[in-house]
Amino acid sequence: MSMRELVTGGAACAVPGSSSSSNPLGALANSLLGSSSKTQEKLNELPGTAVTGPSTSLYSGGDNQLSTLPGFENEEQELRHPDAQASEFLRGFRGADHGGFADAWNEIQRPQLPPHGLRGGPLPYTEFDRVYENGFQSQPPPTLDGPPGMVLSNFLHSFMRSSGTGVPFGPAMLPVLGLSERDKLCIRDRSSIMARHFFADKSEEFINAQVNTLLHSLDIDSDFRAKGPIPGRYPELEEYWNESQGAIQPVIHNPANGWINEFSQQKSLHSDPEAWVNMFEQQHGAKGWASEFQQEQSQMTSMNQINSANMAAMEQARMLAHTLSQNNNPKFQNSKFHQFVSKMSRGELIVDDNQIKPAGVSSHVGWAEEYQQQHKGAPTSWVNEFAQNELSHGTNGWAKEFSAERELHGSVDDKWVQEFSKLNVNDWAEEFGHQVGEGVLGESSEWLDGYNEYLNEQQAVKQQSNSSRGVYLFSDMNPYVGHPDPLKEGQELFRKGLLSEAVLALEAEVIKNPENAEGWRLLGITHAENDDDQQAIASMMRAHEVDPTNLEVLLALGVSHTNELEQAEALKYLYGWLQHHPKYGTLAPPEQSASLFFADVAGLFNEAARLSPDDADVHIVLGVLYNLSREFDSAIKSFQSALKLKPRDYSLWNKLGATQANSVQSADALLAYQQALDLKPNYVRAWANMGISFANQGLYEDSIRYYVRALAMNPKADNAWQYLRISLSCASRNDMLEACDSRNLDVLQREFPL
Amino acid sequence: MANSTLKSAALLDQMKLHLSSDAGKGLVKKIGLVYQLNIAPKKIGFEEEIYVVDLKKGEVTKGPYKGKPDATFSFKDEDFIKIASGKMNPQMAFMRGAMKIKGSISAAQKFTPDIFPKPSKL
Repeated sequence: MSMRELVTGGAACAVPGSSSSSNPLGALANSLLGSSSKTQEKLNELPGTAVTGPSTSLYSGGDNQLSTLPGFENEEQELRHPDAQASEFLRGFRGADHGGFADAWNEIQRPQLPPHGLRGGPLPYTEFDRVYENGFQSQPPPTLDGPPGMVLSNFLHSFMRSSGTGVPFGPAMLPVLGLSERDKLCIRDRSSIMARHFFADKSEEFINAQVNTLLHSLDIDSDFRAKGPIPGRYPELEEYWNESQGAIQPVIHNPANGWINEFSQQKSLHSDPEAWVNMFEQQHGAKGWASEFQQEQSQMTSMNQINSANMAAMEQARMLAHTLSQNNNPKFQNSKFHQFVSKMSRGELIVDDNQIKPAGVSSHVGWAEEYQQQHKGAPTSWVNEFAQNELSHGTNGWAKEFSAERELHGSVDDKWVQEFSKLNVNDWAEEFGHQVGEGVLGESSEWLDGYNEYLNEQQAVKQQSNSSRGVYLFSDMNPYVGHPDPLKEGQELFRKGLLSEAVLALEAEVIKNPENAEGWRLLGITHAENDDDQQAIASMMRAHEVDPTNLEVLLALGVSHTNELEQAEALKYLYGWLQHHPKYGTLAPPEQSASLFFADVAGLFNEAARLSPDDADVHIVLGVLYNLSREFDSAIKSFQSALKLKPRDYSLWNKLGATQANSVQSADALLAYQQALDLKPNYVRAWANMGISFANQGLYEDSIRYYVRALAMNPKADNAWQYLRISLSCASRNDMLEACDSRNLDVLQREFPL
Repeated sequence: MANSTLKSAALLDQMKLHLSSDAGKGLVKKIGLVYQLNIAPKKIGFEEEIYVVDLKKGEVTKGPYKGKPDATFSFKDEDFIKIASGKMNPQMAFMRGAMKIKGSISAAQKFTPDIFPKPSKL
């Protein structure tokens, strides 16, 4: 077998147990490197090096009510109590991660220092009361006991706390929590995401180790983690925790003083501070926990947990050596590599911290010894230290200090608020304006240049977009391309009211016959009815290029530009309509078209209307013109005159409705729109206009339904999407904004049926 | 305003009518601030037309405000239309430099697209 095969992973040298890599060399390297990094972690995990959040901030519990702001939780851990002695004690103390003492202590600490995610100050106090009574009269309840929800949340909190200090998170024995598969999935996914937030400065292996420990303790299979993290779900997890917290803890408000009093009362019963220590000793026997801890530690080492990685490496090396030895090539047999692997497989070489060392005294024994040395006598001195601490402070001292700190914090906070409110926002904004003004005149001309450059760029972009406007955007994947007669098909679809389909068919037609003015015109009309003026303008301009005198095209362009509030353009096309009209063309002197004044144009049309009062089209154009000049009453009259002549013109009813809506006659507008929709049920523009009418009246819920209806018929109506978004936020339906932003019509239609 | 060729002028004309409606009166009650809009056809600060949207009295007038408006906005015609129609978010416009603000920030924050009526389409 060749080396190449080894590296690339031929079938013959597959290594069992290496699921991720089919490459045996790679697998070996992985397990070697993995083992060394795990070794380092284990080192970190040694107790005594642990500095954990809650214990160090012994007296900082006073600001728990001030820290109920979300996002404050992690900062709390940064607080360090100045009394080094106490924290030193606690640090060592906390090291006994899962001894009963530590748990009991934590339990007592917790009320003073509410852990993460506890909103609403009162919760901790009730817990404190309970714990306090339990803690002093009888057994301190172990942390990881009680209702499953509580256990879980405590456990997760301790996971989070481990983040504050960068100390690996130790495994824990938990009672059966009865988590459902869904819960597990939830915890698994979220914890792996959270861990990446917490340990952003740590290596990937470290994060994985942390998460694995957590998941393992919760009896969750971590293999599924491959699903991949979804970033940014942090708030959800917090919510989840808060939920579980809220569910178990009844909300009873105790004033903060209450518990201080109670604490000192209770304490006076046990006025001897050593009573506490004694009690602990009674529970666990003197040095009980220390010995317990030692036991645990030696168990751990004897279980070869540390070594297991090396074992795995050995196993892999053995497999590899076996594979290699089957190669008969003598050159290879004698190679250094082969020797190396063989040695490794026999355990003569171990890999430690990425370095290969001959296996001497098994290093983990050394650790245990080292630890013992470090901590020789420590357990008793801890207790002493604690007792001293107690004496020097006195229990009342704690309470006093606490309230003092509270006061301090309180006043500081008030100050802060005051100071902040002094910062007059107006002044700030003005000052900023001043600075900018000075800057413009003064030194920072460079800055100004940069800005001007930016402006020019913007201008260029805008011109580009202006020129690109009027360029028709074809849909991709048009099924009508190749249709024998797309124009006829398009006309048929348009007549049936299937506007979005008609658009496709007509696009196929104008792709086939780009010079077909009728195709472009009908496409433009269809887009207008589909509430898409940009595309309507683009197609009408193509129609106009092909046939510059088509009156319908000119009128449609006038209407669409009016809708887009482009007055000059609109006026140009409407004047063009008059110019090219066989009957009224003589009224319009051609030389005037260069500089159009609205009043002149309106005058000409009025003259035309006098000439032939029975021509509905003249009234329509007049109506559009008056819309342009915002003379809505005149516009309404013109449209009404036209409707008398053409009562079944649905687009005319819509024009009347729109005009009425723009002049705040919403009730009339709705009637007119209804007329239009009776004549053409799929008239998207009328549906969208109804939505606008409701929205302008402040009836946002109703407007949403109409917008959604319009969008269901034409999901490409961008305006309607924008208006829908506004209405959703005005109707306090922010929950649907996501569906709106992702243009998820199914969700919206289900939520807002018409 | 009828003699202005700005798109904004058309919208503000409609705004004027809108303020006489019940919804418009609701705005006065809800917001109660005076905004001055400096609208430039092409480039901020050049050939600006000044309008005042007085949501204290419920009026829209042309020309600078006599007194101190709660907030003054400067933008291009097109950008104002984009903001008022919900195409562009005001914060975004501000950050991109498409909108300049003077005055109270809290007043500026109430300047949202839902203040303005949406033009219905013919």
